[in-house]
Amino acid sequence: MKIEFICNGKNKAADIEGDTRALDLLRQELGLTGVKEGCGKGECGACTILLNGKPVASCILPAAKLADSEVITIEGLSEANGDLHPIQKAFLDEGAVQCGFCTPGMVLSSYALLTKNIKPETDEIETALSGNMCRCTGYGKIVAAVKRSGELLEDNHGR
Amino acid sequence: MVLYKNPHSVKEAISWLDEGVVIAGGTDLGVKMSDPLYRPDSLVDITGIRELSEIKTDMEGIILGACVTVDELSAREDLPDCIRMGASAIGSPQIRNIATIGGNICNASPCGDTLTPLVVLDALFVLESPEGTREMTATDFFKGPKMTALKKNEILTFIKLPKERLSGRSGFRMIGKRNGQAISQVNAAVWTFIEDGVLKDVRLAAGSVAPVPLRLLKTEDKIRNKKLTPGLIQELKYQIKDEIAPISDVRASLNYRQEVTESLFEEIFSEFLIRRSKK
Repeated sequence: MKIEFICNGKNKAADIEGDTRALDLLRQELGLTGVKEGCGKGECGACTILLNGKPVASCILPAAKLADSEVITIEGLSEANGDLHPIQKAFLDEGAVQCGFCTPGMVLSSYALLTKNIKPETDEIETALSGNMCRCTGYGKIVAAVKRSGELLEDNHGR
Repeated sequence: MVLYKNPHSVKEAISWLDEGVVIAGGTDLGVKMSDPLYRPDSLVDITGIRELSEIKTDMEGIILGACVTVDELSAREDLPDCIRMGASAIGSPQIRNIATIGGNICNASPCGDTLTPLVVLDALFVLESPEGTREMTATDFFKGPKMTALKKNEILTFIKLPKERLSGRSGFRMIGKRNGQAISQVNAAVWTFIEDGVLKDVRLAAGSVAPVPLRLLKTEDKIRNKKLTPGLIQELKYQIKDEIAPISDVRASLNYRQEVTESLFEEIFSEFLIRRSKK
């Protein structure tokens, strides 16, 4: 079946099967390899994408559900010229990236949180990121990075 | 090859169920499909049927469409606490953003976090098939672990919460192996109407301690019309231990479940005692 959707601000079309996963459509057809497969069961969050602004697990999402929607992957956060989004900068500044595998999902879940709440408390960050697992950092620097992101976004007037 | 269908009405959806299975949010089905051997002929996506995603109020109470997301349930202040808290306990934000109450119900896991709240709220499930529409209580609907009373070409369309259960107090607790994204090892739901400190009416249900979300009728009888005191809470703990029938499984041992179930109810009732009014 054919579907159309907006991915990272661009119109896309794809031909998919009923059991095609959104993850595979994004990685294989569109080359968006920033979307990672960790567990394949919707538990680790490495495959997180924003579907109409909401974080969802793309490894258990049928690609068919992307039809007529807006999708953002990690690739969609940085500027066209390669400039990093303030959240990406904050993650680097705070040392919140080690192997980097969880990072795309962490950044997108953070983005969704900061859109609603630009000054989140630690417990709010932990809840918002509770679907994203990290084996490297122990989460402390990730929480700091989200707080720092809020500060940077406020300086940028929330962009 | 799996077909994907997007019906615009319940009747259309039902007509496709001969060779298809219903998909709503797909968070349970997506995990099932990670097994390459599980491939239904078609997936019938009911989230495009608008009435199934609405929450309505009428003279008899609140009607939840089966495709209302768990996230929306967790945020609605006009819903009883127990169902908001149960919804908040499901999975992670990524799961809650797309999982539906209908899916949680039809998956019928004994540990489902909206299920014990629905049992104590005396929820009615509306089921539609080619033969017509019927309604069923939650207690009658859940037959066993992952087994429901749904007939082959039947869809759960709406969940009715009777107005009698929308007043009063309710609570929910669960315990899992981690703070976030944890499957319930045990969960507990309570609805009660307290007047002058007396439990005029009460409903208790426990999850993951029986093949289905279990209504604790004997415990209810023991505490109904009694004054809520710390002493009564201790009494109900003894009664609960007798009434539940947990097993040991990969998530928890029988002994652990026995000990923890009574503690969860103790917490809920203690909070009713401490906070005498809702806000």
